[in-house]
Amino acid sequence: MEVNPYVAVGILLLMAYVFFYLPAGYIRHVLIVLLVFIIGYALVMTVSEMPTFGAVDTPAHNVVPERYLGRAPEETGAVNVVTAIITDYRAFDTLGEVVVLFVAIVAALSNLKAR
Amino acid sequence: MKDIVIRTVCRVIVPFVQVYGLYVIFHGHLSPGGGFAGGAILGSSMVLFALSFHLEAGAQKLGHETSSYLESGGGIWYILIGLLGLALGSNFLTNRAAGLGFGLPGQLFSGGMIFLLSLGIGVKVASTMFTLFYNLSEEEGSGGDHQ
Repeated sequence: MEVNPYVAVGILLLMAYVFFYLPAGYIRHVLIVLLVFIIGYALVMTVSEMPTFGAVDTPAHNVVPERYLGRAPEETGAVNVVTAIITDYRAFDTLGEVVVLFVAIVAALSNLKAR
Repeated sequence: MKDIVIRTVCRVIVPFVQVYGLYVIFHGHLSPGGGFAGGAILGSSMVLFALSFHLEAGAQKLGHETSSYLESGGGIWYILIGLLGLALGSNFLTNRAAGLGFGLPGQLFSGGMIFLLSLGIGVKVASTMFTLFYNLSEEEGSGGDHQ
């Protein structure tokens, strides 16, 4: 289903107006119910356009998992494809996870020890 | 806890848990597991030791200084392995193109830098778990057992 972008922006502006500026009252309640129905309709339409479970032509079944599953042992030398992905293809992402651990412990220690 | 049953069981169990954690780390590229899972097992073995004995006993096995050095060293080790690929004339954190040592896929010493990166991640996760546990439980002011 195609959505007019002006309509989408208008709905967002209406949401902002209702939530931040409109005083409590009868009109506010009616508009909130209307917005809930519009958003719910959009979500249901989104779900109805998703591919069926296990379909062959799902967009996730493209060239990327074929390459990872088929050529990971020869390209990375690791038999375990999960480890091959997280420490070779996505090693920079794993560096970010290591930094997250470091930041977590720095935050905890600076809160506990700073007295 | 001064319970002799818990102390005896933990004294027997902890070495096996640690060996299993090292196994999961070192076989990360061969079997399910890897640095994060193995490091969690290793760290929880140290937490188990400190819980069943005494917090001071746990701190004697792995002190604050050592733990924080391991903590920072794991991250620095990871970045150094990444810079090794840069020094060998390739991109940051490259494995195959940098021409690191490759064995036959399926053997323990294969996969180039994956082995070393898993080691760094495992040490990092284990020391993070232990340091967080130790500082949080120290903050309580109880210090383990006062029974």
